[in-house]
Amino acid sequence: MISKIIRRTKISEWAYIVARVKVMRRKLIPRDEYAKLLNMDLHEIARYLEETEYKKEIDELAYRYSGVDLIDHALSLNLSRTYTKLINISKGLSKDLIVLYLRKWDFWNIKNILRGKMFGFSNDEIEATLVPAGEFDEDFFKSLLAKESIEEIVDAFKGKPFYPILQKLVHGEKLSNVEDELDKFYYTSIASLSAESIDMKYFIDFVRMEIDIVNMKTIIRLKKEGISPEEIMSKIIPYGYQLSEEEARKLSAMDLEEFYKAIEGYWFIDHLKEAIMTQPISKIENALTKVWAERMIKKSSNYPLSILPVLAYILLKKIEIDNLRIIARGKASEMSVDEIREQLVIV
Amino acid sequence: MPVEGMVAVGAGLAVGLAGIGAGLGEQGIGAAAVGAMAEDPEFFGRGLLMTVIPETIVIFGLVVSFLLMFM
Repeated sequence: MISKIIRRTKISEWAYIVARVKVMRRKLIPRDEYAKLLNMDLHEIARYLEETEYKKEIDELAYRYSGVDLIDHALSLNLSRTYTKLINISKGLSKDLIVLYLRKWDFWNIKNILRGKMFGFSNDEIEATLVPAGEFDEDFFKSLLAKESIEEIVDAFKGKPFYPILQKLVHGEKLSNVEDELDKFYYTSIASLSAESIDMKYFIDFVRMEIDIVNMKTIIRLKKEGISPEEIMSKIIPYGYQLSEEEARKLSAMDLEEFYKAIEGYWFIDHLKEAIMTQPISKIENALTKVWAERMIKKSSNYPLSILPVLAYILLKKIEIDNLRIIARGKASEMSVDEIREQLVIV
Repeated sequence: MPVEGMVAVGAGLAVGLAGIGAGLGEQGIGAAAVGAMAEDPEFFGRGLLMTVIPETIVIFGLVVSFLLMFM
């Protein structure tokens, strides 16, 4: 009886966060609006965003930035605030799982700071790319930006489990390898957890499906560039949902024709095969992201009282931000409407 | 215990148990309604309506208790 009551309590916790997230999802930009956005210039896009959920950020930053910089900064700030809000409005297991998933942005920020510092970008440019939404807050990342050398930045993470990976950078390892290792660390630290409850299982399966998508993108991109199977394998993340390391090894050793046939049975292949045959790599990656998002939307409707609707929202919000950024940057670099449209992932 | 006493206990149980049942039913709905309202106050009407739907069962309990007590 008591365990049943506890179970009911959990349901009410899910009901609260899921209801909030569903209302937040309704406020995402509808797919039809992208056609309008594509025909606007930068000022009109900024004005359009002022009438949506981005109003606060645009208003706050308008005195410091303009044009594409304004949109860029506002989008990053909004993404960070949205994700932080998800952490703040959840509690119990849902909060733990959201924090765990959003640690991805810690690694994203660390990678951007390291890359930015190594290639001599200004602090302001690096700051525009930061999305403080995980374990570390904005002030921490700002303090990293203030540091002069890579060694000092790496030392700030002393005691963290991924510190040894960052240390390799100081010892002369290539940045791209360290970035790959950080990604592997993030994904394996979640995917190797044991699923103690059904809620945990949904979460871990979600992350493992994401690993499949990331691995598939890596294999296709590197295969098209003619990279050797060994090098491809060094970038493969273990613990995939369907695409195990062993299968990834087989796929990366195949030639393209065999490869197209071999991937037919995987869950993410629904709309992909056609895309692989005829399209450039960016379109294939977009197709994969779209398949992934559609699959998650479907799954989250099947399991409404779980973490899945929240994760689906996190995914859809990221896709929206990416789309808006692509449109803004495309307009700033005077790309044609068709070229920009091809880069969008409209779910 | 005299019959009147048993009837009174029955009437109390009818309202009490119906109340507990409604409460259990409402907690998920109430949580979802508050969540939706926090994001968009326009959900107030619909949220309130959905939350009180399980309350009807308490009215049945109340009717049963009245029937027991006064008939």
